[in-house]
Amino acid sequence: MKGKDYLSEAKKAYSPLNAIEEAARCLLCHDAPCSKACPAGTNPEKFIRSIRFRNVKGAVETIRTANILGAACARVCPYDKLCEEACSRTGIDRPIDIGGLQRYAMDFERASGMKVLEAPAAALEKVAVIGSGPAGLAAAAGLALKGYKVTVFEAREQAGGWLTYGIVPARLPQDVVDYEVQYVKDLGVEFRMNTRVGKDVTLAALEAEGFEAFCVTVGLQGSATLDIPGLALSGVTTAAAFLAEAKPSCGALQVPSDVVVVGGGDVAMDCATTAKELGAKKVTIVYRRTVEEMPANKAELEYANKLGVSILPSFKPVEVIGENGAVKAFKAVGLDWLDRNTSVEVPESSIQLKAGLVIQAIGQTAEDVSFAGLGANSKGLAAADAETGKTSIGNVFAAGDIVNGGKTVVEAVARGKASAEAIDAYLSSVRESKATDKEVAAQKEGVR
Amino acid sequence: MAKRKDLSIEFCGVKCENPFFLSSSPVGSNYDMCKKALESGWGGICYKTVGYWIPQECSPRFDATRKEGTPFVGFKNMEMISDKPTEKNLEMMAKLKRDYPDKVLIASIMGENEEEWTKLAKAVTETGADIIECNFSCPQMTTHSMGSDVGTNTELVEKYSAAVRRGTHLPVLAKMTPNITTMEISARAAIKGGATGIAAINTIKSITEVDLDNFTCLPIVNGKSSISGYSGKAVKPVALRFIAQMAKDQQLKGIPISGMGGIETWEDAVEFLLVGASNLQVTTSIMQYGYRIVEDMISGMSYWMEEKGINQLSDIVGAALPNIVPAENIERDFKVYPKYDHEKCIGCGRCYISCYDGGHQAIDWDGDKRKPMLNEEKCVGCGLCWIVCPVEKCVTPDKPKFHSFGTPRDINVIAKRL
Repeated sequence: MKGKDYLSEAKKAYSPLNAIEEAARCLLCHDAPCSKACPAGTNPEKFIRSIRFRNVKGAVETIRTANILGAACARVCPYDKLCEEACSRTGIDRPIDIGGLQRYAMDFERASGMKVLEAPAAALEKVAVIGSGPAGLAAAAGLALKGYKVTVFEAREQAGGWLTYGIVPARLPQDVVDYEVQYVKDLGVEFRMNTRVGKDVTLAALEAEGFEAFCVTVGLQGSATLDIPGLALSGVTTAAAFLAEAKPSCGALQVPSDVVVVGGGDVAMDCATTAKELGAKKVTIVYRRTVEEMPANKAELEYANKLGVSILPSFKPVEVIGENGAVKAFKAVGLDWLDRNTSVEVPESSIQLKAGLVIQAIGQTAEDVSFAGLGANSKGLAAADAETGKTSIGNVFAAGDIVNGGKTVVEAVARGKASAEAIDAYLSSVRESKATDKEVAAQKEGVR
Repeated sequence: MAKRKDLSIEFCGVKCENPFFLSSSPVGSNYDMCKKALESGWGGICYKTVGYWIPQECSPRFDATRKEGTPFVGFKNMEMISDKPTEKNLEMMAKLKRDYPDKVLIASIMGENEEEWTKLAKAVTETGADIIECNFSCPQMTTHSMGSDVGTNTELVEKYSAAVRRGTHLPVLAKMTPNITTMEISARAAIKGGATGIAAINTIKSITEVDLDNFTCLPIVNGKSSISGYSGKAVKPVALRFIAQMAKDQQLKGIPISGMGGIETWEDAVEFLLVGASNLQVTTSIMQYGYRIVEDMISGMSYWMEEKGINQLSDIVGAALPNIVPAENIERDFKVYPKYDHEKCIGCGRCYISCYDGGHQAIDWDGDKRKPMLNEEKCVGCGLCWIVCPVEKCVTPDKPKFHSFGTPRDINVIAKRL
């Protein structure tokens, strides 16, 4: 039961008739704000219209052409903050379930074995993509579709990055991630697993191997930690470590009965729901700000509520209390917010929660990018152009969380796509100038 | 306790407790079905057509036209007349009339020749039926001497109406086929032959859809299918048109009409009364939702009468006819411009798209505010924008304007008068 709940997708899929019915609610706007709101350009206006007029294959084509992670995004996108927030239908009753319809089209693609994207023969230069998360996969697919020989280097055993090691299966089943990774492989992209660039192989060695451009998409792997006493106790962990252990265990991970999660984003929600689904009796989320200010998706918050997770907003962690080196309780103090940036402690609201596990889900920290010769800003993020991923080094590009500090999967896809374009532009210009040099040399030769 | 209006209405000299009847079809096939229907509140029943010819039915025999997010809008049916022994049907009809003497029984009949028509008329008269309906119009008979092949032949309509008249003293209805250009011609022939009134419309010959894998239409009966009758909400506009035309025909003046074709709600029912029907028959929506739909027809119509101060239904029969005029009599100087309520507007731009692609490019689109702006110079007042607008009362018809010669005309509807 426990494993089943943890592993099965929480949201029900549409039947064909239900999907068409939902699509028929769409107003088919003239200037579709939903399509404008999608970072990856997935174009809901067009794919919903295709479903509405019974052309599911056309819908698949629209989604797939724009978004190599269409099936994953259909499940994990913060729709309520992007396309669905923009939906005109909200003015009448409620937005179109764009995520649900995208998932319907993507499920159809998978069930029918439809292939929209085909890469040309890889006749162009070799490009290395470092990191196999959403940005890396999107960059690799984009380059393969242009005819580059692409290799993805991944430090871990499995591809997918945060999709595989972070997001819970109830939101994103692993087979969906595997399916889309396979899609990228089918485009001719090679994957070298268990290979950490900078440690197992240097960038210089890859250059010597013939790689002419690099796309750094290593993301945010580390976890930010609290600054309170008791963090060294056993049973105190971070979100990234907890989720990375839980997901590959397929629900076999043992959790104690009382769990405290600190944080208010999607990752905090994922930790809380995971703990609950793995058998914790009482899971409490402690968050410094108010519920309204929680960065988590509405759907994730609702899902946590549905599972019976308690949420304590406006509480600040004070101490983790232990016994014999292990966590026993968690102490926090109430906060009174005077404005967005000012709060005072409310000692009368001090609480102590029994805890066998304390998970810190207060943000991730950037990977070191010095292996690629890149500078980092004060947050440790790679210094690169936010749009194109260009860096100070001509043939090195960076994209995704490592540049933007951790946004959404769909944003990472968008940036991966954009960096593929930038890499193509760069390599094309190199190719042209080489050709020109040759021509000039040939002419000189001729003159002689 | 809700007030119930008196919905009784006389039809062909027969008093009916309400105008709602089952039409001759699968929904009135046997005693038990009719009993349940009558107890649900139906005023009467047109029992499924009986004849001496017994059909052999096919399977499957139905199909439907569907629309996203709605129940089916149109229905295709391949069933013919009753496949029960004639005697058995006559027995059940007699029992119905015995058990429900205050309800009205219409006996639908279909013969293959004059002799049969007369004989059937006699037989059903003996059951105690109140009215006889001649089925000249079933479009899916497997014999061409019966059904709509008769209804499209005015000579046969007249001859068979006369044959029925010879067999009964009861009022006789001739049920018309819509698979014809002008229904008045057949209706006049029926009346000339001796029919008392008209029932219309029977189903429309149709192909609802073609199967893209098997290259045949639906339903597929062992690899093949055929054209057959279409009914339901989708045919209502066609039914209203035929009925209104007959009701306005000088030679048919005062002839009672039983109207049918797509009645689902009390509003549909009122519409049929307004164009001249004084009795109403229903099948498709019963097949879809059951006999219980009559409850809301009765209740809804009562509330409407209360609201409009109408005390008897006969007052509204044909009340819309004076306002339905030939196209040449339509005022051409009158123009209604749309009004856009920018408060209600959600900015979808559907009016803009339709006006550009299907109208007169008379809307300017304010892309920043996402609002439509009317260009009165270009607007012809066609009304497409308020028809496509998905928001209630957002785009509405504004006050009408006259260009040069017109004068406002008071609309003569009973609803306004009262």
